[in-house]
Amino acid sequence: MSRIAITGTASFLGSRALRRLVEARGADAVVAVDIAAPPTTLHGVRHRMVDLTLPGADQRLVDVFREEHVEAVFHAAFFTTPRRDAAYSHELESIGTLHLAAAAAAAGVRHLVLRSFTAVYGARGQNPNFLTEERRPDGHASLAWVRDKVEAEEHAFSFSRRYPGLGVSVLRFATLLGPGVHTFYTRIFSKRVVPVLLGYDPLVQLLHPDDALDAMDAVLAKGPCGVVNVVPRDAISMLTALHLSDKLTVAVPHFLAYPVAELWWGTGVGEAPGGFIDYARFLFVADGEKARRELGFEARHGSRDALMAYLEYRYPDTARRAREQRAREREEEAAREAQA
Amino acid sequence: MKNGAKVVPISGPVGQAARLAAAGRSRRRRTPAPDEEALRRRLAELERQLAAAHTAEEHEGLLVTLARVLHAGARGLSWASLARLQRALYFAWHSEETDEFGSDRRFAETLEPVLEFLYSMWWRVEATGTENVPADGPGLIVANHSGVLPYDGLMVQLAVRHEHPAKRVCRMLALDMFALLPVLAPMLSKSGSVRANPENAERLLRKGELLGVFPEGVKGVGKHFRERYKLARFGRGGFVRIALRTGSPIIPCAVVGAEEIHPVVAKADWVGKPLGLPYFPLTPTFPWLGPLGVVPLPTKWSIDFGEPIDLRGHGPEDADDPILVNRISEEVRSTIQGMVDGRLARRRSVWFG
Repeated sequence: MSRIAITGTASFLGSRALRRLVEARGADAVVAVDIAAPPTTLHGVRHRMVDLTLPGADQRLVDVFREEHVEAVFHAAFFTTPRRDAAYSHELESIGTLHLAAAAAAAGVRHLVLRSFTAVYGARGQNPNFLTEERRPDGHASLAWVRDKVEAEEHAFSFSRRYPGLGVSVLRFATLLGPGVHTFYTRIFSKRVVPVLLGYDPLVQLLHPDDALDAMDAVLAKGPCGVVNVVPRDAISMLTALHLSDKLTVAVPHFLAYPVAELWWGTGVGEAPGGFIDYARFLFVADGEKARRELGFEARHGSRDALMAYLEYRYPDTARRAREQRAREREEEAAREAQA
Repeated sequence: MKNGAKVVPISGPVGQAARLAAAGRSRRRRTPAPDEEALRRRLAELERQLAAAHTAEEHEGLLVTLARVLHAGARGLSWASLARLQRALYFAWHSEETDEFGSDRRFAETLEPVLEFLYSMWWRVEATGTENVPADGPGLIVANHSGVLPYDGLMVQLAVRHEHPAKRVCRMLALDMFALLPVLAPMLSKSGSVRANPENAERLLRKGELLGVFPEGVKGVGKHFRERYKLARFGRGGFVRIALRTGSPIIPCAVVGAEEIHPVVAKADWVGKPLGLPYFPLTPTFPWLGPLGVVPLPTKWSIDFGEPIDLRGHGPEDADDPILVNRISEEVRSTIQGMVDGRLARRRSVWFG
C-alpha cells in the first residue's frame, strides 16, 4: 500500500497534519519523518528518524520512501519563528528541501506538498491589495527567514522541472492563529503592551489551523497544482485585532522602530529581527481565488474568527468581552436600521 | 504544697483542655448569631455589587471611562484600564469590520462632518454634470490633480455621493506618496481610497465600482504655482489600458479652485528627501506660520463632470496597442484641459467664483 510521509511532525502544523491524516486514513497509511518521535498518543504511527541537515539525508530519505512505499510527502519542516542560528535554519529549510526533493524524485514519489508562507511575497508598499500566485516571491528580502523559504520553493520546483514524475504543490499559508499556536508573534501578542507603528494600520490575514488542514486535505486529494495561497475568508486591520484583544498599544515611529528592533534582536531580547517590521507596516494580503477555483477550497473561518479562537484558548475573559461587544454592536446596528 | 503541685500538673491542664474542648464543641453546634448571618448576607451583597461594577465597567462608554480615570487619578490607572480606554477611543470611530480593501464605514461617518464642512462652507464646491456619471456599473472618473494634499480626491468623492442621483460611492485611487505616508495612509484606506496600481483598479472595476483617478500623479499634485491649470503628462496611460481591459467608460472631470489652496512658490527637496517625500512644498504660509500654514486657503471650487468617453468600440486586446492607448490618454487630457480652461474663462474671482 502507498503511504503519505510527513516531515517536521514536531512543528505545530506538522503535528496537526499528522493527527488529521491518522484520523482520516488510519495509522498505517502515514509515516512521520522527523528527528523527534511523534506523540505516543498516536498509536501505531510509523516513525522514521531522518535528520534533514545531515549530508547523507537524501540517501536515507530515498531508502525510507522506497521501504515505506511513499506516494506523497507533506513537507512541514519549516520554522515559523525566526531563529538566531541562521545557518541551521538555512541547512534545514533550504538544503533540507533540496535533499527531500532529490530523494522524492529518485524514489518515484508522485506528489510533494510544501508548507510555505504568504509572507514570502514580502510586505512592500508597492504591493497590490491582493497578491496573486503569479507575483514573484521576494527573493532578495533582507530577512534570511524569507530567503530560506523562497529557496526551498525554488529547489522543489527545479526538481519537478527535471523529473516530470514529481509533482509539486506549494501551499502558501497566511499567518496561522488559533488554539495551540505558539510563535514569535503570539509571544509579542502575549505582552500587555504591544508596540505598533505610528500611523500605519495594515490589514492582516489570520488563518485558523483547521482551515490550513482542510487545504492540505484538498491538495492531497487533488494532486499537484503548483503555488496556491491558502487564506482566511477576510482580513482584519491590525489595530482592530489588538484592541479586540484588550492590548495597550504604543505607537513607535517607523524610522525608530527598525534600528531599535534590530538592536533588540541582536542583543538577544527581541522576538524577531527588524525586517519583520515591514509586515506590521505594509500589506501582504494574498488572494485565495486560485484555491477556490482549482482545489474547491474555501476557508470556513475569517481572520476575526481565528483571532477569537485564539483568545478563547489563551484569554477566555477577553474573548467573552469581545463577544459581548460584538453582540452589542449588532444590536445597535439593528436598532439603527430599524429606525432608518 | 507538694500535694497541690501534684494535682495541678495532672488534673489542671487536662481538665482545662477537656472543658475547652467541650465548650468548642458546643460553640460549633450553636446556631449562628443573627449579626453573623447579616454579615454573611452583606458580604454576598458586596460581592454581587463588585461583579456588577466589573460588568458595568466593561460595558461603559468612552466618556464614563474617561471620567472614572480622571476621577480616580493615578489610582484608577492600570495597564488594563489604559488598554480599555484606548480600546474605547479606537472603537468610537472605527468599526470592527472593514471591506476587503480596508474601508471602514464608521470611520467614514466620523470623518464626514469635517469633509462636509470643507465641501459646503470652506470651498463652497459647485458640482455640475454629475448626471454624466453612470448610475450603475463600472466607471473611471479622470480628473486633474493639484493642491499638495489629496483634498481634490475627497471632494470629488463627496460630489459624486451628494449630487449624483444614485448617490454612488466613488473610490479614489491614491498616489503612493499618500498611500504610504504614515497617518494619512490608514486614513485614506479606511475612508475608501485604494493605493493606485493596475491590479487594484482592475479588481474594483470588475466588481462594477466607480473609481476616481488622477493620472497626473505626483507631477500634478506638487505643481508650481505658475504652472497652475496646465495639466501635466498623464502618466503612461495606465488608466486607459485598465478602462479598455474592463470596458469601463471614462468620465473626464475638471476640478477648478484646488490649485490655489496651497500655492507652491518653491520646493525644498533637501528637506523632503530625508523624510521620504518626493518634494517639500514652500507656500506663502507653509512652513512659516507653523500649524496655521497647513490650513488650506478658502478658494471657491467647481467640479465639472464631462460627457463620458465610451471605449466599448475598442476591445480588451487594444489595451496592448501603445499608440492607441496614448492617443486616448491625450484625448482625455485635452478634454479636461478644455473644461478647465472654459471654467477659468468664466471665473471672475479665485475666492468667490
